[in-house]
Amino acid sequence: MIRNFIISGAGGQGVLSIGTILTNIFMLNGKFVSFSPCYGAEMRGGAVNCEINASDEELFCIQNKEVDFVVALNQTSFDKFISKVKKNGTIIVNSSLAKINKTRDDIKYIFAPLTQEALNLGNIKVANSIALGILSKITDNFSIENVKKAYEKILKDKKELIQKNIEAYFIGYNYIQER
Amino acid sequence: MNEKELLKGNIAIAKAALNCGCKCYFGYPITPQTEIGEFLSGEMQKRKLAYVCAESEIAAINMALGAASTGAKVMTSSSSCAVSLMQEAISYASSDELPIVIVNVMRAGPGQGYIFPSQGDYNQATIGGGNGDYKTIVLSPSSVQECVDLTYKAFYLAQKYRTPVILLADGMLGQMAEPASITENPYPEIDNSSWILDGAKSRPAREIHSLEPSQNKLNRHIIELYKKYTTIEQNECDWEEYNCDDIEVLITAFGTMARHAKALCNHYRKKGIKMGLFRPKTLYPFPYKRLNELSQKVNVVIDIEMNMGQMLKDVRLAVLSNAKVSFIGKPTGDMLREEEMVDASKNVLKEYYANI
Amino acid sequence: MQIFKVPKSIKKNSNFTFCSGCDHGVAIKLVAQIIDELNIQEDTIAIASSGCSVLLYDFLDVDCLEAPHGRACAVATGVKRAHKAMGNNKFVFTYQGDGDFASIGLAESMHSALRGENITAICINNTNYGMTGGQLGPTTALGQITTTSPNGRNIEYHGYPIKTAEQIALCEGVSYSARVALYDIKNIMNAKKVIKKAFEYQKKGLGFSFVEILSNCPTNWKLSPKDSHEKIKNELVKIYPLDVFKDVEND
Repeated sequence: MIRNFIISGAGGQGVLSIGTILTNIFMLNGKFVSFSPCYGAEMRGGAVNCEINASDEELFCIQNKEVDFVVALNQTSFDKFISKVKKNGTIIVNSSLAKINKTRDDIKYIFAPLTQEALNLGNIKVANSIALGILSKITDNFSIENVKKAYEKILKDKKELIQKNIEAYFIGYNYIQER
Repeated sequence: MNEKELLKGNIAIAKAALNCGCKCYFGYPITPQTEIGEFLSGEMQKRKLAYVCAESEIAAINMALGAASTGAKVMTSSSSCAVSLMQEAISYASSDELPIVIVNVMRAGPGQGYIFPSQGDYNQATIGGGNGDYKTIVLSPSSVQECVDLTYKAFYLAQKYRTPVILLADGMLGQMAEPASITENPYPEIDNSSWILDGAKSRPAREIHSLEPSQNKLNRHIIELYKKYTTIEQNECDWEEYNCDDIEVLITAFGTMARHAKALCNHYRKKGIKMGLFRPKTLYPFPYKRLNELSQKVNVVIDIEMNMGQMLKDVRLAVLSNAKVSFIGKPTGDMLREEEMVDASKNVLKEYYANI
Repeated sequence: MQIFKVPKSIKKNSNFTFCSGCDHGVAIKLVAQIIDELNIQEDTIAIASSGCSVLLYDFLDVDCLEAPHGRACAVATGVKRAHKAMGNNKFVFTYQGDGDFASIGLAESMHSALRGENITAICINNTNYGMTGGQLGPTTALGQITTTSPNGRNIEYHGYPIKTAEQIALCEGVSYSARVALYDIKNIMNAKKVIKKAFEYQKKGLGFSFVEILSNCPTNWKLSPKDSHEKIKNELVKIYPLDVFKDVEND
């Protein structure tokens, strides 16, 4: 089965790092996976996004017309990528920075106040990890060992930050349950 | 060493270069290949190797030309409009028979264009952007793993044939990441003691130059170069065939575009149309012979590129009148999606398949 | 008593291909003598350039690499650094004209000097593009007539000339920068001392060393060899003074 993802947001929101962590998790889970970032102009304008494709079989397309899952960390990316969600796909929207508004009825919406939850945790920068937790819950239910390994790979020896991100990941993971 | 890691194409090239003994890197930043130079800067200094932040791509390629004369493995990297600046020295190095690996992580042109991925430098790389009768070996990776494998091969072929080799990737491949491993370099070392410039100790002095005021000598030199190119054409053609055993329709594509082309093949296979892909891994030497053989089995060949049809002329030269050749392309930006290729290919295929 | 001897580092049976009376011959002989005296023939890699200086490898009996036009200092950088990376300390120098060094190749020359690349550059300044028949170059003096300044160089129309040795001396990475001439025995002897010093500074690893040799061009100046030397002595040295502009061991 092929699953594809777009992570989008503003520069500084950790779009590419959470994309890389997600890619690493799939790799550690033994999937074929590709990570393609947007680079250059859009980054300078403040908008960042990346596309991740994961599959049990060899993967060919690294860019797709539509994807199964979109994470939109701010209003701009919500507006821009809502049209990229496949029919019956899911968009996770950071409702702290984007208005709750359902313009399509053929997709699933998950609105979560990611920035607010991150602030509650004491670090605004871990909003992306909360989104990752939600993704994990609604997709493959990643093994926590691999999630930890992926964070350790990206954040190296920043132990406290890894801990904080894992905490955020679990807030996201449990977010759907609690609702 | 062989464990898979998540690698960006650019970093894979840099790591492979180091792993197969690249001693010198000279470069100037340009998106989308800057990570190659950034990565090597620290690593090469650590190993006391030669790394210069050159003042321009012109300086970088000329430093590479000088360094290559010593027998050291040498690499420079750049992108499209700046690779244009290097063409003079690539022509010199071809005549001088100096091994240099030149990485071009293509962006869109002409002119400054933009940093979007593109395959617009096929012509420049394969025909030669510099002056005179010369050819440059051009290798085309399609995945991050091939960035590793073909970097090794680029160094090997450069040394083996004493000629510049271009590793032609595109911005998407340079920037994207996927699992790959820095495998062992499978190629042997080439003895270069007969020609390098290391001081005339216990041997006559050597000269390496392209200038040749004698008509006869210059003619002989160029004819010798072409004998070498003929050998390269006979020995070094490399390609991939994907589902080509029972083809009715053949797709040709190179680099990252070939990945999406495979998805197109699978799309039509599910519909009962036997479509296969031919992907040259060496753009020069182009595998004309094999493509000609395959094209004899089909009615139509569809060439797909991230440009306005540059490999197309080589495809036509290979296919000749064996089959109809048509083209699907887009110069830059987002890669052609599977759906876009399906739409575009319908017009071609409906001539042969009624219910498409 | 032997009063004339061909230096060991000059190739046997090499035919002199420069115009009669041209200072290139003297300059190359001096370089060869110095290579002999410093005993570096077996460790030297010379970088030839484009212009009249291109045929260096026809005369000098050392390993020699031709650089594309103007890029000699970049090529020399590559040679020097690559050998260093392989654990070798080789002697690397460029032999260029003023067009090659200071016009088309100014960026490569200047940046090698700025980096303090441990190489030596010798620049033959004959105030015109000699090989193509005497056109205006960056070093052509004000008032000088060339085939592309038929009414003489003037500031409004052609702009100012460059004083190369003075400019190079301003670069922090430079160990030595001087201008010499070859119009009489005294100056030839001095030129030899200066070039030798520049070579020795590279051997000591002091950084970029540079010698500009103010030379004649009898053919394009349309003067006899003797008159061309008179012109240097009486006119050009006033514009391009003979001096040492930087010497890290004396400053």
